[in-house]
Amino acid sequence: MKQFLTVGWTSMLAAALLLGAGCKTKPKNLTAFPATDARGGSAELGSARPIGVGPGVGSGTGLGPGAGFGPGTTAGPTNITPPTEPMDNVPLPTDPFTGPEDRETLKSNTVYFDFDKSTVKKGEQAKIAAVADYLKAHQDAKLQVEGHCDERGTEGYNLALGERRALAIRESLIGLGVPAANITTVTLGESRPADVGHDESAWSKNRRAEFVLFGGTAGAVR
Amino acid sequence: MEKALRGWLGIAMTSLAACVALGQTTFDAIVDGGKAAELVPISLSGYTGEVEATLRFDLEVAGFTVVSPDRASLVLVGKNGSPVEGTLQDKGRRTLFARAYPGGNARLQAHALADDVVTAGIPGQKGIARTKIAFKLEPGRRGARGDVISEIYLSDYDGANPFQLTQDGTINRSPAWQPGLKTLYYTSFKPGRPCIFSHDLASGARSPVSNYNGMNDGAALSPDGSRIALVLSRSGSPDIWVGSVNGSGMRQVTKTREAESSPCWSPDGRMLCFASSEGGGSRLMVVDANGGTPKALATGGIRGATEPDWSPDGRWIAFTRMGRGENFEVYRVPAGGGEAVALGAGEDPSWAPNSRTLAVVRRKGGGRKLSLLDAFTKQAKDLKTISGSCGQPSWAR
Repeated sequence: MKQFLTVGWTSMLAAALLLGAGCKTKPKNLTAFPATDARGGSAELGSARPIGVGPGVGSGTGLGPGAGFGPGTTAGPTNITPPTEPMDNVPLPTDPFTGPEDRETLKSNTVYFDFDKSTVKKGEQAKIAAVADYLKAHQDAKLQVEGHCDERGTEGYNLALGERRALAIRESLIGLGVPAANITTVTLGESRPADVGHDESAWSKNRRAEFVLFGGTAGAVR
Repeated sequence: MEKALRGWLGIAMTSLAACVALGQTTFDAIVDGGKAAELVPISLSGYTGEVEATLRFDLEVAGFTVVSPDRASLVLVGKNGSPVEGTLQDKGRRTLFARAYPGGNARLQAHALADDVVTAGIPGQKGIARTKIAFKLEPGRRGARGDVISEIYLSDYDGANPFQLTQDGTINRSPAWQPGLKTLYYTSFKPGRPCIFSHDLASGARSPVSNYNGMNDGAALSPDGSRIALVLSRSGSPDIWVGSVNGSGMRQVTKTREAESSPCWSPDGRMLCFASSEGGGSRLMVVDANGGTPKALATGGIRGATEPDWSPDGRWIAFTRMGRGENFEVYRVPAGGGEAVALGAGEDPSWAPNSRTLAVVRRKGGGRKLSLLDAFTKQAKDLKTISGSCGQPSWAR
């Protein structure tokens, strides 16, 4: 276990150094976890003690008492704190896809999908062609394709499905001559429904891919 | 390895000895015999209020059923405290232990007593009453761009002492513990798009781990805590990648056109199980964590298998079967493949350290609740104390 701890901490240190996120390691608001109980008792549990040993069962049977929070018995944190710094300053590897967003210009081109499908329907292909035309006419524009799902699917499955939808559109756009470096994808799974209802009318609006423009003249001027 | 083997032998000998002493079959033997484990009848007397409720919950989750003394095969007699005390006797009124639990609070004392009852009453089974879970919780607000805000929470395994870890007002999801350490990994939209962070629970510091273009999700830490498996789409399709726990040296493990999701590790750290889907439908696959050709895991003809989780003892893989609509069921299948057993309604199972209990999500009236499901008796207990829609439980182990 000691070895794991060493590896873990070395890695954490390496992560901090490599990524240079400038994490402050001093916690600001220490919050006890679990919270001290209302009666003022400490959260630490002592060792159990015998209260009269019955026949045949001594202390050597290996039925040892749980001695509170220790590695192995729980990964139980005793003191946990919220983040100590806002994450807004975390550097991203590809900056073109950050900054002011333009969600309006290509809004009418939102692509809708059939249940559990990531292939673009024939009737939706004209929208993708229009997006490709726009991007070719605005070479500075960077595009984020966001894939969404309805709630019928497990979360794990829907995250992958949303990404497949976004990637299918990205592939189409590349096929239509848009530089691959100008398009990124994001999957929202079921986390941003366009309609919060629980019927087909809502679901059909939620199975979609939206287009967001960043940077260049597209984001700034519009 | 040899050392590990010796450790296992030691445990096996100990449980065998305990088993002979108590004249009971072990839990493992029941499971190996292909029989559903049976609930162990136990009676409680002398307890009231919070202590009784805590004991009852802990024991019911662990595979006991609380009955009157005349029908019980184990009798627990004690008092609320302070401190909480307990004397456990078998049918022949032989005392298995008699202990007091000083320190902590009543709830913690009751948990410690429950863990001792589990160890003594179900040979070979570990108590889990003092473990923790992490999960995501939707407080019911919409954020910028209409996001359903979700934050990462921690709580005791029974939902008590919930603690809001993140306060980002955005989508935070897919929490995963680093085994044996107070570090949690999760995906956050805080930087504008999804990135994976590690969060040191002792200091509160967060460090970026993965922020490639496209998908950064599904973090799963290797059992020794040194490596991380992720789903990245930087190759043009969601694939499984494995690298150092800080996110460096990521190597692509699957190179399929299909979408991979929800990786989990075998306890020896050699294999990964994940879900793979293309054009509708989903199945489970297993691959060497260093790369190689993925092989389908036989799930007894069950289709739509997603969200696998490998039990810490290496014997089982729990998963969600997706039906059409919202009919999700949790199954378990032997880790080598075979017949899958339906365990009941739920999704996104996460194994407890006892390789018996699963934390699952259940959909109820538009919301989602956490529930603890016994993978062998199929007994389920809802966590009622947490308000808000919950998902993606991850059991600290």
